[in-house]
Amino acid sequence: MEILFYVFATVLVGAAIGVITARNPVHSVLYLVLAFFNSAVLWLLLEAEFLAIVLVLVYVGAVMVLFLFVVMMLDVNVESVKSGFTRYAPVGVLVMVIIAVELAQVIWVRHMGLRGVGELTPMPADYNNTRELGLLLYTEYFYAFELAAVILLVAIVAAISLTMRRRPGLKAQDIARQVGVRREDRVKLVKMDAEERQ
Amino acid sequence: MLENYLPILIFLLVGAGLGGVLLLLGFLLGRGGKDAQKLSPYECGFEAFEDSRMKFDVRYYLVAILFIIFDLEIAFLFPWAVALDGLGMFGFLTMAVFLLLLVVGFIYEWKKGALEWD
Repeated sequence: MEILFYVFATVLVGAAIGVITARNPVHSVLYLVLAFFNSAVLWLLLEAEFLAIVLVLVYVGAVMVLFLFVVMMLDVNVESVKSGFTRYAPVGVLVMVIIAVELAQVIWVRHMGLRGVGELTPMPADYNNTRELGLLLYTEYFYAFELAAVILLVAIVAAISLTMRRRPGLKAQDIARQVGVRREDRVKLVKMDAEERQ
Repeated sequence: MLENYLPILIFLLVGAGLGGVLLLLGFLLGRGGKDAQKLSPYECGFEAFEDSRMKFDVRYYLVAILFIIFDLEIAFLFPWAVALDGLGMFGFLTMAVFLLLLVVGFIYEWKKGALEWD
C-alpha cells in the first residue's frame, strides 16, 4: 500500500514536471495524460473508486482529447510561447507559495493535522463506493445536482454561440430538392415558327 | 475493497514490463543508422508540402466541446444507475429534471444546426 502510493506519487510529480519542461506542446499534453492516470490511481488508493474512474473518463477521455486537438491544430509558434517564461515566473512562484501554505494549513494546523482525521479503515471487498455516492447525490444534494445541469446547459449555449459560424456562399447539396425536381422546372419548350433558310 | 483492483495492478506491471522489453530488444537488436533520409517526414513520396501547424475549422472544437458536455452527463448517470433501487421516486425525479434540462440544450443545439456540417 505505502510503496504503491510512493511509486505512483513519484511518477505523478515527474509527469507534472514533464508537462512544463517538455519542448513540444504535444509531449506536454501526453505528460498531462500520464499525470491524470497517476492521480486516478492515488484516488483509488484512497478507495474513492468512482472519482478515479470519472477522472479517467472525463479528463483523459474528453478534456485531454480537446487539449491535444487544440495543441495539434493551433497555429502557434513554439518559440513565442516559451519566451514569456521569465516574465510570468514571479506570478507562478507566488501561486506556488500560496498553494504550499494552504496545503501546510490543511495538513498541520486544522484539527491537529492529519492525525485528527484518523486512519483510513479498509472497506470490505463488496463495498460499493459508487452506490454510496449515488444514494447521497440524488437525494440529499439534489439542488447542487440540478445546478450542475443548469451549468452544463449554459455551457452548451455558450459553446454554440461562441463558435457557430455559417460561412456565406457555401455550396451544399440539398438531396430532397435534388430528388424532387421535375422536368418542367429545368426544361422549357418554346413553340415557334420555322425560320427561312438563309 | 482494494483487493478488487489487484488484477489491474498486475496488468499495469505486465504492460509496462512488456513495453520496456520490446523497446529494449529493438534498441539492442536493431541495426541503427539514423540518416537524414530515414528521419525525414514521408508524405506519399512527396516532400512535405507545408508545416503541420495549420488553422482548422472552429467547428471541430464545437463538436469536441459538445462531446465533453454529454460525457459529463454520462458521468452523472453512472452512480444514479447503480443506486437506483435505493433512491425511490425522489431520486428518479431528480434525474428526470436533470435530463430534461440537458434535453433542452440538446434541442437548442439541434435546431440551431450545430450538429450539421455544411
